[in-house]
Amino acid sequence: MKKYDAIIIGTGAAGGIVACVLAEAGKHVLLLERGPVLSFADVGRDQLRNQRLAIYGHNAGPELIGNPRVFVDPQGRSRLVKPHELDYHNNAACVGGGTRVYGAQAWRFHPNDFRMASKYGVPDGSSLADWPISYETLEPFYERAEWELGVAGDGGVTQSEIPRKRNYPLPPVLPSPHTLALQHGARQLDWGTTPVPLLINTEAYRGRSSCIGCKYCVGFACPTDAKTGTQNTVIPRALATGNCELKTSAVAEAIDTDDRGYVIGISYFVSSSGAPQRETARSRLVIVSAGAIESARLLLNSRSSFHPAGLGNEYDQVGRNLQGHLYPRAYGLSSTKVFNGIGPGVTIATIQFNHDNPGIIGGGMLADDFIKPPIDFWYDSLPPDLPRWGVENKRFMRDNYTRVMHVRGPVQDIPNPEGRVSIDRTVRDKWGIPVARLSGTTHPATVEAAEFMRERGEQWLRASGCEKVWSTQPGLILSGRQHQAGTCRMGNDPATSVTDEWGRIHSHDNLFVVDGSLHVTNGGFNPVLTIMALAFRSAEYIARLS
Amino acid sequence: MNPDTLPAVVDCLIPPDDFPGAYDAGVCDYIEQLFQTDLAGHAEFFRAGIETIDSEALATYNAPFAVLTRDQQIAILEGIESSAVKTSWPIAPAPFFVMLVNITAEGYYSEPQQGGNRGQASWLMTGFEDAINS
Repeated sequence: MKKYDAIIIGTGAAGGIVACVLAEAGKHVLLLERGPVLSFADVGRDQLRNQRLAIYGHNAGPELIGNPRVFVDPQGRSRLVKPHELDYHNNAACVGGGTRVYGAQAWRFHPNDFRMASKYGVPDGSSLADWPISYETLEPFYERAEWELGVAGDGGVTQSEIPRKRNYPLPPVLPSPHTLALQHGARQLDWGTTPVPLLINTEAYRGRSSCIGCKYCVGFACPTDAKTGTQNTVIPRALATGNCELKTSAVAEAIDTDDRGYVIGISYFVSSSGAPQRETARSRLVIVSAGAIESARLLLNSRSSFHPAGLGNEYDQVGRNLQGHLYPRAYGLSSTKVFNGIGPGVTIATIQFNHDNPGIIGGGMLADDFIKPPIDFWYDSLPPDLPRWGVENKRFMRDNYTRVMHVRGPVQDIPNPEGRVSIDRTVRDKWGIPVARLSGTTHPATVEAAEFMRERGEQWLRASGCEKVWSTQPGLILSGRQHQAGTCRMGNDPATSVTDEWGRIHSHDNLFVVDGSLHVTNGGFNPVLTIMALAFRSAEYIARLS
Repeated sequence: MNPDTLPAVVDCLIPPDDFPGAYDAGVCDYIEQLFQTDLAGHAEFFRAGIETIDSEALATYNAPFAVLTRDQQIAILEGIESSAVKTSWPIAPAPFFVMLVNITAEGYYSEPQQGGNRGQASWLMTGFEDAINS
């Protein structure tokens, strides 16, 4: 049997980077992806079946049949959920992972995001903790991610809050009419604003062309490949070395250990032709980069007499602290048309309220939104007092689709150890692997922050000239979804964390987790650039291991 | 099932004005396709609901739904929406009505390839697309 230097499970934001760094360092890597390569045509433009609006299905995997999870609601009732349902907390299952279809906001976390417990104390019932590393430690790796993948933005305006040594490689997206209104409103309120940093080529960069302003970023693939994911950057680099073997439609079953409990490789299923075949691969190192839910599931499903509760789970920490972001949303009706039909649509943000809000733990960033297709707008954005049908509803869509301004943002999740991934012992997927069971909620302090941010969203829109303003926030639910994080948190104490600061499982020298699972807290920002920066940092460390 | 009922219903939900109503935009084609595919398991539920709309119309105005005045039609639908119905319903009227409203909007506002937004009627109406690009 061929023996690899490293096996990496997952090709998303983290796995693709780890594969690239290791392969370019001369390591022989097996990169497993449970989904296929998806072309632009494969992803398509179905407005009812995509990662943003998934009414009848979605477009980036996994398949609807044979991949259930169990969701336990706050009343303790459990039910089977399919991948396109909200409570499944899906991200994606394809080469590139979520980066194939995401919106690509590329924020650094704020320095205070790494020291939440020190700054705010730990509220009752929360597992809020500091990261084992600081912003300063991660800063060079943010820069590396921004330059090697390509981020468009303007780092100057956030320099005092989020210091950086080097600006972004690409200029920010151009303002839209609504941008100017929101800029004006922020000035009235004396709030600072910044262009939204994006992993989107605003100019040709590193062999890929620039954005053409189409209206289909989040939820879809990019027609010019200007949207940057691991599938069009680091994974091609990894493959070009000749050192990386990519296997698609390869579903990890368990991490294998020998008769002394030492990690030796992986068992997985491939189903490209006919009945699924179980295969095994052996390596010196195993790196789990399957996303916060599937990474935890794989560790928990890797049981032996040495590890009866799963690998790395000696202290019942694997799968706990599942977090994502609650998203308050505010809408305002402008007296003039603010829509110009040019994507991405997200252009302006304020980081005024990420910290130091009176009586609030944390806070979050607020930004405008990606262009919403009319059906998305109809489901998401109409005022609550508008009839859902009839003349009035149609008239609102006709008159106001181009006049509604959108402000929303991710609220820093205050982690709750009871918001978690565990294994359901009765339900199995189509390969016979026990499925993830999701239960619990975020901490109530998160909802307090979300309510505060909802009010700030309304305030911003009123100051920007909107006479009619409305808003929502989701309340006390389990957060996770496409920003899922936290289930294998880093730390120095094996009793309260799963890995060390490099992502190495405390109890195993040669087993790593590298993805959003590591996040001790998930910032008040979209997390992908932090996942990428951590991946570069861990991968450099792993490449140095003999 | 009375073939005139669904066209009349969807035109109450999204009525014609300067821009096509739901029926002219193709929403009934979208709905027919949907109940043969993604919602095949709910086809009987939906059929029962549409048939009972006609029963409501007969019980209230002694005429099928499609020939009622627009105001009478709207009054029937408002009754179903709020579960204030006159006949015995084989299914729960309010959830049926939510489904009806949602799928009508889906057909009308999503991409033309789904069948219910012929000529990008709703996209031109909303300004999502402009006439130059259509």
